[in-house]
Amino acid sequence: MGPVISVTDLGIRFRRNIRGRRSFKDLLSSSARRTRPGEFWALRGVSFDVSPGEAIGVVGRNGQGKSTLLKLVANVLMADEGTVTVKAGVAPLIEITGGFVDDLSVRDNVYLTAGLHGMTKAQVTQRFAEIIDFAEIGDFLETPYKHLSSGMKVRLAFSVISRLEEPILLVDEVLAVGDKAFRTKCYKRIEELLAGGRTLFFVSHNERDLERFCTRGLYLDEGTLKLDAPIKEVLAQYNKDYPTL
Amino acid sequence: MSSSLEQSPFRRSAFARYRHALWLLTARDLKVRYSTSVLGYVWSVLDPLIMSVIYWFVFTQVFQRTAGAEPYIVFLLAGLLPWMWFNGSVSDATKAFTRSAKLVRSTSIPRTIWVNSIVLGKGFEFLLALPVLAIFAVLAGATLSWEVVFFPLAILLQAVLTVGIGLIVAPLVVFFRDLERAVKLVLRFLFYASPIVYDFADLPAAAQPWAAFNPLAGIFSLYRAAFFPTELNWSVIGISALISCAFLGLGMWVFSRCQRSVLKEI
Repeated sequence: MGPVISVTDLGIRFRRNIRGRRSFKDLLSSSARRTRPGEFWALRGVSFDVSPGEAIGVVGRNGQGKSTLLKLVANVLMADEGTVTVKAGVAPLIEITGGFVDDLSVRDNVYLTAGLHGMTKAQVTQRFAEIIDFAEIGDFLETPYKHLSSGMKVRLAFSVISRLEEPILLVDEVLAVGDKAFRTKCYKRIEELLAGGRTLFFVSHNERDLERFCTRGLYLDEGTLKLDAPIKEVLAQYNKDYPTL
Repeated sequence: MSSSLEQSPFRRSAFARYRHALWLLTARDLKVRYSTSVLGYVWSVLDPLIMSVIYWFVFTQVFQRTAGAEPYIVFLLAGLLPWMWFNGSVSDATKAFTRSAKLVRSTSIPRTIWVNSIVLGKGFEFLLALPVLAIFAVLAGATLSWEVVFFPLAILLQAVLTVGIGLIVAPLVVFFRDLERAVKLVLRFLFYASPIVYDFADLPAAAQPWAAFNPLAGIFSLYRAAFFPTELNWSVIGISALISCAFLGLGMWVFSRCQRSVLKEI
């Protein structure tokens, strides 16, 4: 089977300062390759392939492009050079509470968010009980979303996105929130999904989590892919480069 | 269990997914708008209604009106209702990305949906307000002519024009915040520059060739033809259609060029 995610020579750049000059000409010009003053490459020359069922951990210090890479795979950012080819559907655990509407009930919100991520109404109905059960929110079905506690909001959001029947799962440090009991549940859910043959793309600073879920590591440093190896080697190299005091 | 239930979502065609998401977003906006206020639906009727009554009072009771046609209230509503659709869509399009920034950042649906759902939502409100026009037509004794068949054409042309302008405005506002206020100003100007309170034929002969380049002129005359068949002016309508399509083309080009930068910015 061919790779399910294929990244070739990927590059993306951002503006360094907010006040940088913008002109219509810049916006509409098609010459994407030229680096303009005041811009920097957040990622450049990154290439790798991911086979179905692989669990990949992305390692690196803050600001080295980990989340950016995840967003490019999720197709919520577009590359300035190179290509990202994703051959299967993606369940992105990125800004998971983003789609929820304050004034709508929990029930409406579940249908809305799941629908926006590609589920049909029938599919949501089929999984509705599971979703609510997992989020432990059964008593609040008709409550406006804004009246939920922040813990409940995250639980509900994780519950919805993790039920998407997509072959690729992207996780961006969302697990840092929520209480311990729910975190344990989330981990179990991710392990279930992995056992079910999902491909995982995992960004975290927590080495225990990375070793628990991932088999392969991508080490990003200064916007380039420094090492692509089994997760243990990657973590060893990372710790060697940035030893904890 | 039907086979469609077991089908994985990614196997649905991209178009089906887009359509479903468009429907969900539009329904969401209408639901929020109607469920968070006591009057709900009444608001989408009340707004154009009050405006019409004001203009009717000013232009028929205070000033001696020579412009427009009889019955004037029907003439007004037939222009004001579609104007509200246009006005609401374009001014909401300036906030298309900033308002749903979080959602844009977490879903991979083609980004045109943020403009299209606004135009569709406001379009529904327009359709829901049409009974008001019907009621006043009956009360004022306006006669419905066969030209009412052009109504769907008018709706189509207006949708094309509005989406086109929305696709230009929405991404540019992200970079040039001034545009939000500039658009408001242009809309206010356009309200009086378009044949809403007056008729295209009321304009001075010298101004008419220029006014014909306002695509709203032809579109409004198509709507009005339902009650005022003499309104039909096919050369003006033809220009409207051309300009509307040009706006859509330009909008699609601007949008596709800008969206990469928009996604980085929000």
